[in-house]
Amino acid sequence: MLKAAYRIAWKDVAGDFRRRATLSSMLFFAISVLVVFQAAFEPDRKEALRLLPGLLWATTLFTTLVGLGRVFQAEEEDGAFEGLLLASVPRGVIFFGKWLGNLLLTLLVELMILPLTMVLFNVDVWRQTGEILGILVLGTVGLTGLGTLLAAMTQGARSRETLLALLLLPLTAPLLIAGVQAMAGILTGGEVTPWIRLLVIFDVIYLALTPWAFGWLVEE
Amino acid sequence: MKFLARMQAPLGVLTLIALAVGLWMVWTAPADFQQGGAVRILYLHVPSAKMSLFCYIFLTIVSIIHLWKRSETADILAEAATAVGISFTGITLASGAIWGKPMWGTWWAWDARLTSMLVLLILYKGLMVLRHSMDDPAKGARATAILAIVGAVDLPIIHYSVVWWRTLHQPPSLTMAEKSAVHISGPLLPPLLAMSVAFILLGVYMLTLKARQIEAQRKLDALEAARLHHE
Repeated sequence: MLKAAYRIAWKDVAGDFRRRATLSSMLFFAISVLVVFQAAFEPDRKEALRLLPGLLWATTLFTTLVGLGRVFQAEEEDGAFEGLLLASVPRGVIFFGKWLGNLLLTLLVELMILPLTMVLFNVDVWRQTGEILGILVLGTVGLTGLGTLLAAMTQGARSRETLLALLLLPLTAPLLIAGVQAMAGILTGGEVTPWIRLLVIFDVIYLALTPWAFGWLVEE
Repeated sequence: MKFLARMQAPLGVLTLIALAVGLWMVWTAPADFQQGGAVRILYLHVPSAKMSLFCYIFLTIVSIIHLWKRSETADILAEAATAVGISFTGITLASGAIWGKPMWGTWWAWDARLTSMLVLLILYKGLMVLRHSMDDPAKGARATAILAIVGAVDLPIIHYSVVWWRTLHQPPSLTMAEKSAVHISGPLLPPLLAMSVAFILLGVYMLTLKARQIEAQRKLDALEAARLHHE
């Protein structure tokens, strides 16, 4: 069962490595968002440290939208989506595979964004890199989970990228709040545990809900 | 739906009477000793905030029924509830801002209730856009119903995350002001009850009107499609 999910994820990730389509456009989109933030706020070193959690999360959120717009791109032509649904595994497992593929790509981009942000904004928090990455991973699990469901939901919709942003941004408000607060807590020595708890609650709820919702969505 | 058609006229008259009585009671109610005449906005604000939440609860229930029984009526009611809900949410946010300016000294504060209401407004809008951006109406209805349920799960999480955010981050000065406004007592209570009843009637009336309009629209679309097919 899980092998099927893993194969679907691998198909997406390996395919993207060969075409380098999603990964590179996500990365360059993230860099341009960082440039926009630098030009808009011109933070000095102290301000940059305070802004860092918000910068990282806003960049992650926008970059995820680029990736999510393409989650089902491979399936859009020649009835490939129907072919995928015909696989002899539960629909939830298919969803799990698509989610896993998107999660891996998004995490790869985040791994590159984090040092880039520190270099571009001149912030020295290398010692806390592990903790910051941990928070990013926790938030990304729920973000891509809900995002993959919304991507499936908006499949075949007109102007779907705009629609995806309109739906995803308000629904992920708790992730953004908890992620920014937890990261700020790590950087300034404030409260962290309640925010990590909120991130975990969000992840668990959406990982339980979304495969089921996907099953309802694609049922004929 | 036939039942709704027969109910509509009496319901409309009843709503009008209830609104007239409610507004008269609001007009003659004593002014608050701290808030003055501005407290009267709350008689509009509180019932409308309740209605925007009731509409979402109703929307969630009919969405589940639509997914489960594939009922067309449930889907029509869901579309109508979204339209009614977004208008009540808009009224809530606008009246809250008008009340907030003289009371809090600001139009807007990132308080848990205000933030949740704003997210609710965007969610209603998202539901409307999603439904109409699909070429296949059945697929649009299904996706919208699922999004409504996802939203129903998300709204409490959003509310509590903002509550935690504000209480951990800064003292909840503004929520105190809002809470004291909820503890309305004595002569201020009857007009609030009257307005609540009036708004419930108004909500049901708007829902029947919108549901009948959507039903007629769908019949018309089906006829148009049949005519094009025939030609």
